[in-house]
Amino acid sequence: MSGSQDRHVDPERALLSGEGAGQRTGEGDHRFPVRGHGTEHRRPDEAAAGDGGTTYYDQPLLKEPIWIWSVPAYFYVGGVTSGAAIVGAVAQLVDRQGLDRLIRRSRWLAGGGAAVSTVLLIIDLGRPARFLNMLRVFRPSSAMSVGSWTLAAMAPAAGASAVLPAVGARRLGDAAGLGAGALAPVLGTYTAVLLSDTAVPLWQATRTSLPRFFAASATVATASALELFPTVDAREEAITRHLGMVAKVADLVCGEQVQHQADEVARVGRPLHEGASGALWRTAKLSTAASLAVSLVPVPARWRAARRILSAVLGTLGSLAGRFAVFHAGKRSTRDPRASFAQQRAGRGAAGVDGRAGVTGPGGQRATDA
Amino acid sequence: MSVSPGIMPTSDESAELRAGSELARDHRGEFDRGHGHALPAGAKGFFTDTTVCIGCKACEVACKQWNQLPDDGFVFTGTSYDNTGDLGSSTWRHVAFIERPGAHPTTGFADMSWFEGDDAPSAPVAFGPDPQGGGDFSWLMLSDVCKHCVHAGCLDVCPTGAIIRTEYESVYIQPDVCNGCGMCVPACPFGVVDRREEDGRAWKCTLCYDRQRDGLEPACAKACPTDSIVFGDIDDLRAIAEERVATLHERGVDSAYLYGADAASQPGTQGLNAFFLLTDAPEVYNLPPDPVDPTHAVGAAWRSALVAGAAMVVAVAGAVLSAAGARR
Repeated sequence: MSGSQDRHVDPERALLSGEGAGQRTGEGDHRFPVRGHGTEHRRPDEAAAGDGGTTYYDQPLLKEPIWIWSVPAYFYVGGVTSGAAIVGAVAQLVDRQGLDRLIRRSRWLAGGGAAVSTVLLIIDLGRPARFLNMLRVFRPSSAMSVGSWTLAAMAPAAGASAVLPAVGARRLGDAAGLGAGALAPVLGTYTAVLLSDTAVPLWQATRTSLPRFFAASATVATASALELFPTVDAREEAITRHLGMVAKVADLVCGEQVQHQADEVARVGRPLHEGASGALWRTAKLSTAASLAVSLVPVPARWRAARRILSAVLGTLGSLAGRFAVFHAGKRSTRDPRASFAQQRAGRGAAGVDGRAGVTGPGGQRATDA
Repeated sequence: MSVSPGIMPTSDESAELRAGSELARDHRGEFDRGHGHALPAGAKGFFTDTTVCIGCKACEVACKQWNQLPDDGFVFTGTSYDNTGDLGSSTWRHVAFIERPGAHPTTGFADMSWFEGDDAPSAPVAFGPDPQGGGDFSWLMLSDVCKHCVHAGCLDVCPTGAIIRTEYESVYIQPDVCNGCGMCVPACPFGVVDRREEDGRAWKCTLCYDRQRDGLEPACAKACPTDSIVFGDIDDLRAIAEERVATLHERGVDSAYLYGADAASQPGTQGLNAFFLLTDAPEVYNLPPDPVDPTHAVGAAWRSALVAGAAMVVAVAGAVLSAAGARR
């Protein structure tokens, strides 16, 4: 049985059969004082320590999300998948013949993106071999369950819409394209719901603005990805440029809303201003704004391609940085117990949802009582 | 004894206390013997009375030992006698040591009247460095554990169905189903659930489901020498807890209150199956003042998401139609 050393149990003398006996420990590897990701993420965060009310030795109240880089990467790729499926389906309904190349490109982006998304999500699992357990139940209260089923339904449809026309089954491909397009709006926005479906103070505070920001970011990413194809005709260029401009304005406006909602309780919004997450957030805003500015500059025809590519690269960077910024800022906010305490004392805990705050003192004194 | 209110019952008060905890005592007697068959279904839980916790950590040890949990590194926090820090994947009981200025809420005195003869102390014994009324420093101790919330965030967000509600109303993670998606880790408003990286799955207190199935009380409650941790039927525990608060108020410990005892006092979780008697603000014990099951709030996020998703479609349609006149 694994882990007998870490349990300080002699396996010759004791039967390992307790509730926690199956927990793997990385036994025998003592090169590091703390094994695996260890307990570092559970220790006080120096940047969050200091004044602002009582804590238990600055010990975090919450557990920091243990998701890795592949999760914000999926937010980006899933955003492209979602946006591309919508472009494909809408273009198909508007002008199936005239926009054939844009439709084909969109479908390959959506099909490929769905495949990459699946891989990114599986490698984040602690037990990747059990990824199919995601489809073991359907639980509407779990945004991750809703998202898993959406991706599971959409990925085959998006893949089929790309592959089937290439093998002659055009009508079936069109039907699959419409199916993928119908599911795409959910895929592009549920990730924001998933983040606010946690106790993370920053993500809770932004639960209504984050879906809008993610939808805008997904559309920026899609328009930018379509602009990166080397050859486009004037009509395709106009479509992606107009879509990109609208989405970038929406991205900047919704980003401001996210920041405003986060800053309603100062400590909650702090990671969007400070540290690596703050730098990523500023990078996102600057890149998106620069991308918008570039796409608005009037240029002669021979400079159009350069303008398109530059705007697309900046737009991609803005979307990626925005996703990573929201992800890391949320993680950082869990390290600061005062963020949760201040948020809940300000009436944004259960009081803001269920209408009544919890009892925190004798005589029925509530958390929101002064 | 003239010294009162004391933290431990005086001989007069012990008869009163005995009557008050009849229900728990009955249960305890039952659980001690162990039926060899499962406890009857129905909400079971813990009432943790922090005013009688002495910080011995017997619960931590009993939990580790019974559940055969591995160590999680040997960390020296350098802040207090608490070198455990918090609950985690392989720490399902954790004793917090709060060092704070001011007297202990129960004045810091123990009644030593049961000592006889030469062993009898000539003066009351203080819980703290200053024998004169508690002095300017005192400890609060709290044995923390999974709260087994009535509305549990971890359970509500688990996409695999690995987290279930048992016949004892406790929240249980099935290790053979969990795929380590990590959703429950930030969903817990108390920061209880964690994933052990080398193992890849989420773990937490099971309320000793295996022991309950064998007619035994959980290991921590069994090991607690002061009955700071009491296990039993939730309704009985509430009655005992309310009586204890009333007793403390009578003795002048005005700061005593129950944390999470029912839905009315903690709407965000609809009450905790493992609730506490506290004598200071929740933050002092690293407990959230107004926790909420995050799925209570997710409706607003979904509504915003549906509007945003529809806006994506409208924006795309607008862009495609706007280019209708462009040269091919």
